[in-house]
Amino acid sequence: MTAIELEGLTKEYDEVVANDALTFTVETGEIFGFLGPNGAGKTTTIRLLLGFISPTAGTAQVLGRDVTDESALLEAKRRIGYLSDEPGFDEGMTGNAILNLHASIKGDSRREELLELFDPPLDRRVREYSQGNARKLGIVTAFMHDPELVILDEPTNGLDPLMRQRFADFLRAERQQGVTVFFSSHNLSEVRRLCDRVGIIREGELVTIEPVDALLRRSGKVIRIRSADPIPIDILERAGVHDLETSVSNADADPSTAFTECVFTFTGDINAVLEGLSDHELIDLAVEEAPLEDVFMRFYGGEDDV
Amino acid sequence: MFEIARYEGRNRLKGSVYLSIGMALLAALVVWVYPSFSDALGGDELLEAYPEEMLQVFRIETMASLEGFLAFELYTFGWIVLLGLYVAYAAAGAIADDVDRGRMDTLLAMPISRARLVAEKFFALSVPILVVNLLTPPVLLVGSRLIDEPLAVGDIVAAHLLSIPYLFACAGIGLLCSVVFDRVGIAQRVALAVTFALFLAESLLAETDAEAFGAIAPMRYYDPNEILLEGTYDLVGAAVLVGMTVALLVVSQLVFRRSDI
Repeated sequence: MTAIELEGLTKEYDEVVANDALTFTVETGEIFGFLGPNGAGKTTTIRLLLGFISPTAGTAQVLGRDVTDESALLEAKRRIGYLSDEPGFDEGMTGNAILNLHASIKGDSRREELLELFDPPLDRRVREYSQGNARKLGIVTAFMHDPELVILDEPTNGLDPLMRQRFADFLRAERQQGVTVFFSSHNLSEVRRLCDRVGIIREGELVTIEPVDALLRRSGKVIRIRSADPIPIDILERAGVHDLETSVSNADADPSTAFTECVFTFTGDINAVLEGLSDHELIDLAVEEAPLEDVFMRFYGGEDDV
Repeated sequence: MFEIARYEGRNRLKGSVYLSIGMALLAALVVWVYPSFSDALGGDELLEAYPEEMLQVFRIETMASLEGFLAFELYTFGWIVLLGLYVAYAAAGAIADDVDRGRMDTLLAMPISRARLVAEKFFALSVPILVVNLLTPPVLLVGSRLIDEPLAVGDIVAAHLLSIPYLFACAGIGLLCSVVFDRVGIAQRVALAVTFALFLAESLLAETDAEAFGAIAPMRYYDPNEILLEGTYDLVGAAVLVGMTVALLVVSQLVFRRSDI
């Protein structure tokens, strides 16, 4: 069963292709991360899925309803929660008045429970809200009617680390209940902690779509080496070494041919590297998971293929 | 149903009460100055000094009676021009302001159709349109008796009742601007310009060859002079205004349904 299905979904503005033939599906019950830098077309996709803009070509369905058929989509919207990337609330109204409006249209069976976790100052006007409080109010409006599918555009923008953690725990619990989550982000650590699968979008095109652990495997390891004696650089001139940086702390070594300290990303068999180093006396060796940021850079940088 | 209309209507209530008080004060002022004005100038002598175009634009027929004075000073100036522009301006913000400030996505993510949203936002404008007509009639009726120029209750009530479809038609112009332009500033300026241009066109083109053009202006179908001086109520005109309002609302709904926001 699919919660969201896009087929060749395209949105063109005069000169710009904001979404170029996007095709993918989001399965019921998964947390799907939609990653890309600002301006990549993430918000355009979300706005197409909710019928705010109409596609130039292609089709999409949410909860089995065609997004270009307004009355069908309305039926789906009763079961969809949405959080926009801007706060999007009437600034002159209090949080309570806004929640009451949402409640009157779509229901609020989970309002109290959510307000215990996310507690914006409801008696104050939204004008006085911090970014974090506006976001908390948004989270409550997105989930208060107990939706089956939630579409979140940069949901943790403006939340402090404690709230981010709470929101992550909350989303995981929602998934346990069978809720499907589609969220856009450029916050990679969040995506890796939360998502089952990730789609990466660049300049309107889908670059890749895969389970987050496969993406991490593909992303390789960061290796840091410190040695007592200079090591010839050529032992690191092998496939799978990326972004190599070397330096020498020893005055009589030639920095163009040898190093005493280095850091690089490695996507090959780690034993091969260790074998090459076995003749040298190391002071320190660290092998860490590559930050997803680097993976990301590789997808966007375009020079180094993974 | 009507959740958005109720919400928006409540938001408009406070401003509408202030507006109503302001217009009632204007009415009191007009009644208050009338005796000294009429004593000093007597009859319509002053009118002869005005250029014909001026009389035509402001629809001044006579100042020799309180009714004629009110028709010009209060109803033509206050209701037809000021309030007509006000509701057009307010309606121009109804949709465009939410689009401009990024609030429309949050509204439309809820299970509510675009046509319904437009209609409910429009109906919420009935709050200022009705409330502004509440205070002025009693002020006029009491004030006119205090200066011994009693106004006919029926005519005053009719002047206000018949202004309601007129003001809705002006709001319809604003609403159409609101769905055509997604920048609220532009929508509001165009609404003001169009409404004022229609007022001028209708007034200046009367009794010329281009008179037929004025038929699209709501101002043609609401005539305070006729109500106050002759006691005739143009119900056909009111029906035309209702028709115009419905047409503008339906066109606005169709435009908004098709637009990217």
